[in-house]
Amino acid sequence: MRALALAGLIALAFGLGSYYATGERTLYATLNLGAGALALAAAALLALRRLRFAAGSHSRRVLLRGLLGVAGALALAIALERAAAWSGWRSDLTFEQSFELAPATRKALAELPRELTATLFHDRFDPRARNTRLLLASLAEAGPVTVRERLLADAPEDVDRFGIAGSNTVVLTLGSRFETVERPLEATLYEALYRLRSRTHGVIGVLRGEGEGDVSSSAELGFSGLAAALATEGYELHSLVTSSLAEVPADIDVVLLLGPRRALLPESIAALERYLERGGRLVAMLEPGAQSGIEPLLARWGIEAPDGVIVDPAAGASSGGDPGVDPIAYNYEAHPLARGLNPDRMTFFAGARPLVPHNVGAGDSVRRVVLASPRSWVSPDLSLLSRRSGRLEPGTAPQDYHTIAAAGRYPRPGGEARIVVFGDSDFASNRYLRALYNLDLALNAVHWAVERESEITLRPKLRTPKQFPLPLENTLRTFHGVGLLVPELLLLAGGLVWLRRRTA
Amino acid sequence: MNGAVASADVDALPLPGRGIAIEAHTLTRRFGERLALDALTLRIERGASFALLGANGAGKTTFIRLVTGALLPTSGSLTVDGISPALRPAEVHARIGFVMETSRLYPEMRVRGFLRFMGGARGLAGAALVRAVDAALARFQLEPVASRLVGNLSKGYQQRVSLAQAFLDDPPLLIVDEPTGGLDPVQRREVQALLRGLRGKCTLLLCTHDLEEARTLATRVGVLHAGRLVAEGEPSELLGGADELALFRASVERAT
Amino acid sequence: MTALRALVRKELASLFGTPTAYLALTMVALVTALIFFDHLRLYNQILFVYASATMGGFATDSIPDYVNLWDSVFFPVMETLGLTLIGVVPLVTMRAFAEERARGTDELILTTHLTPGQIVLAKFGVAYLFVASMMAVSFLYPVMAIEQGGLGLEHLSAVYLGLVLHGIGLASIGLVCSAFTSSQLVAAISAWAIAFLLWDLSWASSFVGERVAEILDALSIQPRYSSFAGGVVSLANVIYFAGIALVSLAAARFSFDLRRVSG
Repeated sequence: MRALALAGLIALAFGLGSYYATGERTLYATLNLGAGALALAAAALLALRRLRFAAGSHSRRVLLRGLLGVAGALALAIALERAAAWSGWRSDLTFEQSFELAPATRKALAELPRELTATLFHDRFDPRARNTRLLLASLAEAGPVTVRERLLADAPEDVDRFGIAGSNTVVLTLGSRFETVERPLEATLYEALYRLRSRTHGVIGVLRGEGEGDVSSSAELGFSGLAAALATEGYELHSLVTSSLAEVPADIDVVLLLGPRRALLPESIAALERYLERGGRLVAMLEPGAQSGIEPLLARWGIEAPDGVIVDPAAGASSGGDPGVDPIAYNYEAHPLARGLNPDRMTFFAGARPLVPHNVGAGDSVRRVVLASPRSWVSPDLSLLSRRSGRLEPGTAPQDYHTIAAAGRYPRPGGEARIVVFGDSDFASNRYLRALYNLDLALNAVHWAVERESEITLRPKLRTPKQFPLPLENTLRTFHGVGLLVPELLLLAGGLVWLRRRTA
Repeated sequence: MNGAVASADVDALPLPGRGIAIEAHTLTRRFGERLALDALTLRIERGASFALLGANGAGKTTFIRLVTGALLPTSGSLTVDGISPALRPAEVHARIGFVMETSRLYPEMRVRGFLRFMGGARGLAGAALVRAVDAALARFQLEPVASRLVGNLSKGYQQRVSLAQAFLDDPPLLIVDEPTGGLDPVQRREVQALLRGLRGKCTLLLCTHDLEEARTLATRVGVLHAGRLVAEGEPSELLGGADELALFRASVERAT
Repeated sequence: MTALRALVRKELASLFGTPTAYLALTMVALVTALIFFDHLRLYNQILFVYASATMGGFATDSIPDYVNLWDSVFFPVMETLGLTLIGVVPLVTMRAFAEERARGTDELILTTHLTPGQIVLAKFGVAYLFVASMMAVSFLYPVMAIEQGGLGLEHLSAVYLGLVLHGIGLASIGLVCSAFTSSQLVAAISAWAIAFLLWDLSWASSFVGERVAEILDALSIQPRYSSFAGGVVSLANVIYFAGIALVSLAAARFSFDLRRVSG
């Protein structure tokens, strides 16, 4: 019996070892595994036979009770593990919260019309697949997602079909449509999900002609990022050239004004006002020191926009500016447009002018949304925006919560008009759109303006893991101080114990 | 070993009601196809000193393991003080002290530490444990070696340690397996004197293949051969006379 | 309880009173420190290359995502440590029951008030304590090295929890192998074999159907352990390792019954 067991173990070990080494199911591996399993089974049977022969009835009862105990423990362990797996309870303790899905992703997954298949294609020992696996498992827990894995070497036809360029690529398949994601992070998967669903929320008319931000420009101060994000969210962008704007077209759901450097033509402003009176929507991003020409229009609609610079000492210096000239806002009013934003979810503005909202007509609701800190004040000195140094003092200017963004609802015979005004446009530019929660604020403003409040959410961030180095001298110091010292002390202790035993 | 050892009156009769009885009825134990005990029927009276005599492989150790509950019988019955070791081993353990061969100790432990552990394992704690350990050290003359490692002691001292741990809580049944195996004549005499001193204080079950030992220590002797009880009686009946070995051999031949 | 306490004290003294325990602790601590230091140095070198290429700045856009402290340093170390433990832990647990059986002292202590269940609990408990201290000792250097960088201690605690659970799982396997034999060598070898087999059962996927392959994957240690290394504490994974411990405890207890029957 022991000889059989020994032979069986050796055969199993060599069979497995062969498979591990070559990665292939060879005849050698299969034969060894089969022979090993047979030999062990035979040894077990012989042992049982020997036992049965020797054991009395009481012995059989004792054995049965013991075996039931083991089986019971196994069943309990499996049941608890399955229940825990089904509950999906887990805690993401990573610094970047890499595996906690953003509300937007959860929402997108919950709204999937049918089962989504996420297939991870990777090379056998690609270490990146590990994190991707965990991320896809998070998606599977949040919605009807089936996760599969395939080795690139085993799927040449899929590589061609899906245009897979390298390892650690995820292909999302929804029905007959698919999206290939080469850099699978939550943000990129989220965008792929939206592209797959291809819903349309409306048409945005982007005003241009007076030095507004360019939605086709990918320069730092361009707005191509915002355009792409809006397209992902399901909007079509149409250009509205102010010089020829007689009327805002009827199919425009919202007009977007991105920080004009020159005043709009009076005809354009009039067209805009008529549009608003018909129940139109406007999202306007102003700039301190630049007169857009729509300030009087906005004042008529309850949002004053005096020129000036909000100075907020709560914000530190950002690159190229004085401390406090670029407010970081962490105060938000309870407004649907700011849903999800709180003091931990800040937004950044590169130079902002103040807004003063107030109700004008009966039934209008004009409210402030994003505020600077209570220590902020407004300075009329626009040169602060370009100055490079100096400590700023409020002087006699009152310190208070100054409004950086405001929103208004205006019931009109033609429908409810909505206006959102920001005292800064740079926050939505390519340079700052992905900073903090700027993207969410910009997109949620548009969603609110077109009354698609169900789309207001917080989107996954393009978090990259910490990649700074640890200074080598620190590392060496710790290595000697702890890394080598601890084993040395342990070895000393072991030696003392050994000596003590010898002399006892 | 140094010094005289304490001993009680060798001829002291067992006190009435002291100790517990062991009863076996057609007790059988197989190992595979080998029959280690074959329908053994035996009664050891309360307070008796019973020597189970037999050559190596006769079944003595198997019987002891059945009494302690370390083995389950294939068939038959066995009770210790009316309790079945197979069904209620914990209750039987509360009543026995076990002196095993000297190799079955913890060589890495010191004598006092070993006795403290065994006392604690027997349910003694606090002051009671300290008292019991001190008494055992004194009773078995182990004070000079109390802080030495068990593994570094001579065989004689190790046997004393083995005896001492068995007697920490004054058990009513003492089982001693080959108490003088591997000892020199002086050590053997001293251990036997220790055991003689325990007669009358408990039921003693002694397993040995030494005729002289059986005769001097026991009030009754049973002879085991190939798992069967081939003879049982007073030591003077079975083992008295010039040629004890011949008698032993004859009784074995009668059974086969 | 008195008997159980006495046995636990004795087991602790026995474990920490032998040089083997210290050798095992030293080996694990040293191997971890050396591997960690090596990976850390390499990681610094890679970042330096990228810094030089981007003219002195650490513009993170140019550095691949997988070149970061976790993927380049921690994960390889944790993976290696996971395998190292498979080699070391059975060496510590092999003597727990096997030595007692070989010496015959198991029968001695079974004649005391100690029940087989208590004996199993005591030996398992002490082994788990040893494993936890082994993990603490080996984890000290990585924690001190990383803590200077101000990185997430929560993530580190998830990694440590995974290490401890992994160690407990391995100790459980080692103990149950020790319980069924009187040879320490057989105990160690069988524990190694079972642990290596369970480490990653994905090799079987080419032999069996998809459903069975999924079950085998759920039984594997490596994905569960890696999840902790990744910073995610999942209840299912905690219960997995606790389940190994529970089943091992029951099996070790059963070994006493088997011994009584088979001799």
